[in-house]
Amino acid sequence: MNQWEVFVMDLAELAEGKELELTIRTLNPGIHKYTYKRVRARVSAALDRFPDRLQVRMGRGQLSDRKFSIEVLEEIRRLPAKYQ
Amino acid sequence: MTAPRSNREFIEACLKSGDAVRIRQEVDWENEAGAIVRRACELEAPAPFMEKIRDYPGFSYFGAPLSTYRRMAISMGMDPASSLPEIGREYLKRTNGDPVKPIEIRKKDAPCKENILKGTGVDLCKLPIPLVHDGDGGRYVGTWHAVITRHPVRGDVNWGMYRQMMFDSRTMSGAVFPFSDLGKALNDYYLPRGETCPFATAIGLSPLAGMAACAPSPIPEEELTGMLAGEPVKLVKCETNDLLVPADAEIILEGEILPDYKVEEGPFGEYTGYRTSPRDFRVTFRVNCITYRNNATMTISNMGVPQDEGQLLRSFSLGLELEKLLRSQGIPVTGVYMHPRSTHHMMIVGVKPTYAGIAMQIAQLAFGSKLGPWFHMVIVVDDQTDIYNWNEVFHALCTRCNPERGIHVFRNTTGTALYPHATPHDRRYNIGSQVLFDCLWPVDWDKVNDVPTLVSFKNVYPKDIQEKVLANWTDYGYPPVR
Ligand SMILES: Cc1cc2nc3c(=O)[nH]c(=O)nc-3n(C[C@H](O)[C@H](O)[C@H](O)COP(=O)(O)O)c2cc1C
Repeated sequence: MNQWEVFVMDLAELAEGKELELTIRTLNPGIHKYTYKRVRARVSAALDRFPDRLQVRMGRGQLSDRKFSIEVLEEIRRLPAKYQ
Repeated sequence: MTAPRSNREFIEACLKSGDAVRIRQEVDWENEAGAIVRRACELEAPAPFMEKIRDYPGFSYFGAPLSTYRRMAISMGMDPASSLPEIGREYLKRTNGDPVKPIEIRKKDAPCKENILKGTGVDLCKLPIPLVHDGDGGRYVGTWHAVITRHPVRGDVNWGMYRQMMFDSRTMSGAVFPFSDLGKALNDYYLPRGETCPFATAIGLSPLAGMAACAPSPIPEEELTGMLAGEPVKLVKCETNDLLVPADAEIILEGEILPDYKVEEGPFGEYTGYRTSPRDFRVTFRVNCITYRNNATMTISNMGVPQDEGQLLRSFSLGLELEKLLRSQGIPVTGVYMHPRSTHHMMIVGVKPTYAGIAMQIAQLAFGSKLGPWFHMVIVVDDQTDIYNWNEVFHALCTRCNPERGIHVFRNTTGTALYPHATPHDRRYNIGSQVLFDCLWPVDWDKVNDVPTLVSFKNVYPKDIQEKVLANWTDYGYPPVR
């Protein structure tokens, strides 16, 4: 199970039941901890719904006590092809 | 005493004088190192030199490099016990001299080239980038460093300390404000043309190079560093672009600022003592090459409540650069001082009040200058008030500043996203507001009958009585006054 974290201004940004675009960072241990990815994903407040866990921080870094499960559907490449 | 030439010489000097401690036990890059630096800042304790970092054998950290006046004096090659006015006078003396041009050395002589990562080998996570504060938007690569760029038209080089967050293994996002030198070059030139801007980030600089990188001086920073150090800075060419970087820096990141790729930056603990500026899309740095010294030391400034480099050093250089500006205009100032605890928000200016409107002239110059966005309060006191003595300044403010005639608010000026008191809208657009507290007696008051007499020991007693009382003080039964 992977652990992820997301920053939101409002928990309503984590709407359930639809595909979302999110910038999430990995909390898996190791040297790459806290690196980000832009992804398409689905989230749920039911922790057993999706395979991975998502923790939430608010606008100024406050940890929310709401936890989610998340399914990362695909990574979105924002970096223009000319730089890849 | 000569100024330490490199970060390594500086650490040695601080260890020797008791201004740094060597931490031998392993520390965690995730929060623990940051917490040590933060506590050292809040206690004004010796700087932590952390020799062993979890996951990163061979690397070390040096935190809070210039968060005390003692370490600032050591960095200038002065006696650590030097007072702030002494350090200030030395800074003014050295930076008013002739520019000291840097020299270029060969790559094979440059310590920063001992290890080179290029192509698929580039991964920022190979460096011990700390999570400085819990809840930050990311691990911050650049907290005590210089971002080096060259102006595309004028050709002059800029070293600026602009924070940089690791977004992923090759990407950093940074807070480069639009009124900074780099911000202006990006907005005037690169962004409208859609061109990439070559950059290099130097981490683990000599302390004076760090001081220069965050000084708001018009002198190019590589020359300013040479002036402060009393000898030329040694530079070496980058591997992947034509920029020159300090050869003895611990770590160099080379790459390009991308005009058409934005990633999130922040939030981050800031010099105001809060996490204020919103997470936002700022400036994106793509890293193409990493070079570093054997046993590289990463430097960490941990900004938060006073006192850290963000307040101490910036107060120091903002105050002195304003003093230079006011003197260049012929204004009879006695000095300019920013108390670090004001988080460099309050300028205290002492002046001989020789003509009407002198406080307003000072405020207009201060707020209208390049320094202006970084502070929002100017207090002007007369030449009899000791600007370094808060008791005297506070007394002047509370007794001489007339609420109607003495307080002047400047609206719609330039601010920063970091002002805790600014509205969210003003933070987003760098809109500021500023205030002058004029604590001078008005020139149109009769000096004899209208201006109140200061009732103090020094001011109201005849000299012979003062001398007698001072001479007999302990005989009266008082302990000696230090
Ligand atoms: C520890 C530290 C961190 C700083 N971070 C930033 C930053 O993220 N963005 C910024 O614009 N200025 C920052 N500053 C202030 C700049 O270094 C300073 O304004 C410097 O003069 C560069 O500005 P210039 O490009 O206008 O010369 C920081 C200063 C210090 C001491």
